[in-house]
Amino acid sequence: MQQLLTTVLTGLTLGMVYAAFALALVLIWRATRIVNFAQAPMAMITTYLALVLIDAGYSYWLGFAVALLSGLVLGAVVERFVVRHVEGKSEVNAVILTLGLFIVLHALAALIFGSRFRSFPAPFGLRGFQVGDTTIALTGFGVFTIVAVAVVLVGLVLLFRGTDLGLRMRASAVNQEVSRLLGVKVGRMLTLGWALAALVGSLSGLLIAGGGLVHPSYMDGVVVYGFVAAVLGGLDSPVGAVVGGVLLGLSLSLVSGYVGSELVPLAALVILMAVLLLKPGGLFAHVRERSV
Amino acid sequence: MLSVESLSAGYGPVRALDEVSFEAADGEITAVLGANGAGKTTLLRTISGLVRATAGRVFLAGKDITGRSTEDLPGLGLAHVPEGRGVLAELTVEENLRLGALGGGRRATAEELSRVYGHFPVLEERRDGLAHVLSGGERQMLVIGRALLSRPKVLLLDEPSLGLAPKIVTRIFELLRTLVSSDGLTVVLVEQNARSALSIADRGVVLNLGRVVVRDDADALAGDDALRHAYLGF
Amino acid sequence: MTRRQLLLALGALVVVILVLENTGPFRNGQFAAMAYYAIAAGGLTVLTGLNGQLSLGHGALMAVGAYTAALMLQERDAALPLVLILLIATGVTLVVGALVGVAAARLHGPYLAGATLALAVAVPGIPLYFSETLGGEQGLRVRVPEIPTWLADAVYFVTGQDLTPTRYLAYLGWLGVIIVFVLLANLSRSRIGRIWQAVRDDEVAAELAGINLGRARVLAFVVSAGCAGLAGGLLALSARIAAPSGFTLTLSLLLLSAVVLGGLGSLVGALVGAALLTFLPQVVTGVGEDLGLTDVQAAQLAPLIYGLVTVLVVLLAPAGLAGGLRKLTQWRRST
Repeated sequence: MQQLLTTVLTGLTLGMVYAAFALALVLIWRATRIVNFAQAPMAMITTYLALVLIDAGYSYWLGFAVALLSGLVLGAVVERFVVRHVEGKSEVNAVILTLGLFIVLHALAALIFGSRFRSFPAPFGLRGFQVGDTTIALTGFGVFTIVAVAVVLVGLVLLFRGTDLGLRMRASAVNQEVSRLLGVKVGRMLTLGWALAALVGSLSGLLIAGGGLVHPSYMDGVVVYGFVAAVLGGLDSPVGAVVGGVLLGLSLSLVSGYVGSELVPLAALVILMAVLLLKPGGLFAHVRERSV
Repeated sequence: MLSVESLSAGYGPVRALDEVSFEAADGEITAVLGANGAGKTTLLRTISGLVRATAGRVFLAGKDITGRSTEDLPGLGLAHVPEGRGVLAELTVEENLRLGALGGGRRATAEELSRVYGHFPVLEERRDGLAHVLSGGERQMLVIGRALLSRPKVLLLDEPSLGLAPKIVTRIFELLRTLVSSDGLTVVLVEQNARSALSIADRGVVLNLGRVVVRDDADALAGDDALRHAYLGF
Repeated sequence: MTRRQLLLALGALVVVILVLENTGPFRNGQFAAMAYYAIAAGGLTVLTGLNGQLSLGHGALMAVGAYTAALMLQERDAALPLVLILLIATGVTLVVGALVGVAAARLHGPYLAGATLALAVAVPGIPLYFSETLGGEQGLRVRVPEIPTWLADAVYFVTGQDLTPTRYLAYLGWLGVIIVFVLLANLSRSRIGRIWQAVRDDEVAAELAGINLGRARVLAFVVSAGCAGLAGGLLALSARIAAPSGFTLTLSLLLLSAVVLGGLGSLVGALVGAALLTFLPQVVTGVGEDLGLTDVQAAQLAPLIYGLVTVLVVLLAPAGLAGGLRKLTQWRRST
């Protein structure tokens, strides 16, 4: 019973982080029909920027803010100057482009920050809370993780549903040409979309790193899990990304606890194939009409 | 209000538009007619900047808008309802309308929305629902309402009657006529259904293979049997 | 096989012999590596270039071939001849490729990329889990069998030199390259090759023409998987080990970028890509160290360059370097 509770709590916390990453992927997919595989090394680099500051003596929160801000900037720059050229064209080219970026960012990080494993702090502590005699597997950092992702989600919902800017961004994602005819500066909306997605990605990078080790490949698994979570929920659905992330986190935690952590990526692959072959649109598949 | 001078455009070696000139006057409906592939849609797309003009000029209320970005045009008073209607199906009806207003540079006021709902009561019933559940006729009403909310000087309409039952077409065309009379709107109406278009239009321009064949009053065009048979299909 | 192909193959064989006999063990080792990269790249370029299926998981398929070969080479005196072992490794990977291919046939673009990415990340975990049989993190040591005496004698007879183990593996690899490339070239030119391209270019039209999309895609995947399996087997022999760390995600990505740089669908491009993968790191690392970087840092320059060039190629010359060169020569001929 204790182990089950531990597994569930771990899975929930981890699931929220996968949800954040999946959300970043979904935001970009909706806007530009591209899966940004480079989101993982992008998040890794912004986390390294935070680490540099933290190791130099500055507070965690400054590093946190810098990571999020640099994510914003990095996402905007990548969209405007790199990805813009392949938007709307061959899918194959877009995938290869993000993979090229993946390799470049990996190598840059190793070059600039080094390949050794470095520890990253976790605010609010890594000790489980005491409930009576037992320590449950929920830590202060775990609660922070859940709250942080929830705050970001609420913020995004408010932006997209409650503001004119959000409305314009959603319009750009639905149909670029019609949006232009309605006076929406689609190019800027796409850049902003990538910037926000990268911000969310940076958050997930920070949360994964907390209490663990940072090295250039540390986010590589997350891109797979984020992708699986996004597909599970439906690549078009932000809500799906969150639900998918939590479900995946729970499932993988169960596999890790009861089978073995080495087989977690394989479990993710199996879940992915199951979804793609049985319900390819994901759990939240809805009719996708692009304007008539 | 809208003046097109020797406008040419092409897709590669194909000359889709060949020195097209015409004027759409204030408070009038100008019908642009012709067979499939005559260049009617290309004309509208070139006016609104989706297609680059290779030669010629477009003037809106005296201002040269040739080569301006598409997204700047609603702010300058040009609203284009594209072929296929351009409903943003995943947004709600009201969100579609609000976007129209934003394009014109201001948020939609409650009064402005009420006015649109006044013209199209069925939209008010479905205001918070997703636009994709609307029928063809309702979609056409939505996009016209959306275009009107941008307070345009000129409204470009591309084949509004496509796929709609005759009764609905009549209603929509009557509404257009009313709006033009009451608001002084300038409308450029591209239509395959030349008969209906000429019944509400003041002027007509007939295109064939990207060129202007004739410009005349709508009544004159409707009355010219030879022309009608040759280019308009009735 | 056409007469031209036969001449090319024989010519290539002569070149291989000349080059290998006149270079030392270090270079021979590099050529051996280039050979297996070329085989893997050849299969991948046919899959991605001709059939339009993006696979980010071919590193994992190479792992399957490598581990299969390694499992059969645990004892010094292997009962089976090397060629047979390589064929078995290829065969096993063909089967795995069929399974993956069946699933992959239904997927497109980013979905296929993501699924194969998941495969690339998942497979290295398997030997870690089954660590008793599959060697865990240390991997499985591979005992390269003795060179058959008849072969050593024959080589001595032809070239006057002894056949070192490294050179033996290089010969094996390049023989593989020649055979595989002839096969791939013939497949590409055949009806099957045209079917693959038809499926890539326009699915609907292909189906209307009576082509079974699924079968065509699976076949392309199987062929490329076989190539990867053979390459993996050769890799295990050259490296004398099959370990998870040899089949990281980076391998799959580098393989794909090599194919892109060489030009999707071009076998010559696959050779170019393989050459880049093999020889560029040393050159670039040397330059980096001269510029003052530590050796660890300089080692990152090669992937950095691949990545940058891949990005540039996609942005500027979507047909890849070989395609870009072809366009350039065509343009110069026409002006």
